Amino acid sequence: MEPAGTRLDTLQAIELAEGVEVRLRIAGPLLRGGALALDLVIQWAVILLVSFVLMIAGLMVGSLTSAGLISLLWFFIWWWYPVFFEWGKWGATPGKKIVGLRVVQTSGSPITFGQAVLRNFLRYADGMPFLGFGFAGLPTFGFALATVVATRRFQRLGDLAAGTVVVYDRLAPEPEVPAPPPIQSVAPAVALRPEEARALAAFRDRAGLWSEGRREEIADHARDLSGSRGPAGVSRLMAMAHWLKDRDRR
Amino acid sequence: MNEGGFEEQRREAWEEYERLVTSVEKGKPEVGVADLPRRFREVCSDLALASHRMYRGRMVDRLNALVIRGYKLLYRSRRKGSESFVRFIVADFPAVVRREWRLFWLCSALFWVPFFGMMAMAWIDLDWVQAILGPEGMAGLEAMYGGEEEQIAHLREEFGSNFMMFGHYIQNNVSIDFRIFAGGIVACLGTIFFIVYNGLAIGASAGYVTYACNPQSFWTFVAGHSSFELIGMIIAGVAGMRLGLAVLKPGRMSRGKAIAASAKRALPLIIGAAGMTVIAAFIEGFWSAQRMPAEVKYTVGISFWVLHIAYFTLLGRGASREA
Repeated sequence: MEPAGTRLDTLQAIELAEGVEVRLRIAGPLLRGGALALDLVIQWAVILLVSFVLMIAGLMVGSLTSAGLISLLWFFIWWWYPVFFEWGKWGATPGKKIVGLRVVQTSGSPITFGQAVLRNFLRYADGMPFLGFGFAGLPTFGFALATVVATRRFQRLGDLAAGTVVVYDRLAPEPEVPAPPPIQSVAPAVALRPEEARALAAFRDRAGLWSEGRREEIADHARDLSGSRGPAGVSRLMAMAHWLKDRDRR
Repeated sequence: MNEGGFEEQRREAWEEYERLVTSVEKGKPEVGVADLPRRFREVCSDLALASHRMYRGRMVDRLNALVIRGYKLLYRSRRKGSESFVRFIVADFPAVVRREWRLFWLCSALFWVPFFGMMAMAWIDLDWVQAILGPEGMAGLEAMYGGEEEQIAHLREEFGSNFMMFGHYIQNNVSIDFRIFAGGIVACLGTIFFIVYNGLAIGASAGYVTYACNPQSFWTFVAGHSSFELIGMIIAGVAGMRLGLAVLKPGRMSRGKAIAASAKRALPLIIGAAGMTVIAAFIEGFWSAQRMPAEVKYTVGISFWVLHIAYFTLLGRGASREA
């Protein structure tokens, strides 16, 4: 496995007990923030709706009883809603489910009840610093953002404590766009390491998705290998990728 | 074998595997689901092969997704039964608290020193107490404990008010425990703040009531639930300190690893603390305000304290296991 520190992408390689390595794509702060916002909307909607129903029911069963139930509702919606959803079959709160995220252990398997408790109770600490009114004001999630950005696997404090990561649940397959046809087939000047050969193959497979300028930009990173910049570098890399593919065929 | 041949040969197995996984994901397992573990291992080895031979990224991605989906199903952790729940109560929880005895005494001191300090200030210099409680706080205390002992029972006369207060105590007091715990990750500062703050506020209230109101009505009310609530809060503090110490003193581990390790140790503490506070809310909601002779209430309150001491010192001995 390559040292993760040098990688540019957010794929996390995890070795399973079966001896095979799977790659999970870790979710970044923007998408998770979106999921959080959705969850807040859902939580508020449930609280308002159920409180309204309880208050009407309170006319019959006594308003104090319904006031007690509303207190319990608050408690369960704020502290336990994420715990039960993430512990459950979805492995995700409704907000995460909507944006296509899931919480897993760093080993890739679904999280346990204890982990769900830890990561969600610590959300309070992740919400710091609070705006206005000391320890009970509006959470800014500054701590969460700071630790997400500072850790390799985008973990907030709760994730660090529970040993969990938030990953994309299912990746949509990339659209297949035919790559520009190779003009020639050229052997690379030096022997390539496996991951370098893989990078070349990926470049060939995905080149059809990019604009001309983007292709050149990416190919310029490999100018030591191709020996030239700009369009010439692109076609040279494509030729090498073509050669590698031909070699594998034989 | 080349790439296309490999895919051609294995395609059928992958499709069958995907069909089974999809059926289990939907909760409606189809025929042949008993084969899923075997098929899962086959797909695993296909993935290993495909990525070793550096086949197309698309094929590897597809296999990768298939393996993750199967892994998610096969490795779902079993829900633990009621047996482990009982063992947690009668053995594990007191044993874990005992193991953290240093932090327990530290958190106890953080609470009781400000508590008794403020109680004493009620006689030495009432200004301190007044500054902490504020005019509304004092007015509230006088409304509840100002007159006869019957006063709280009166306030709870209306139907459902016991339940309302129960809901309120759960919402408020258990949330406080959770905040005490979570605040610990900021290098213990949040935990210390909340415990000292509670010590000051509760001590000031107790001092003010004893000084200016009818102490009997206050102490009979709090006697029953005090042990559950205060010890629960202190244990939540222990959990928070455990977490904060990992940040301050990670030892040989990296900070991230240390936090994860001590969170595992803190988890039973915060769960147990929350359980104790829930029991306290039941007592406080449905029992503490009942009309009853003061002797009964004091006896019950003291018995609960004694039972707590016995519970935390005696239970779970010999059952020492790595938690």
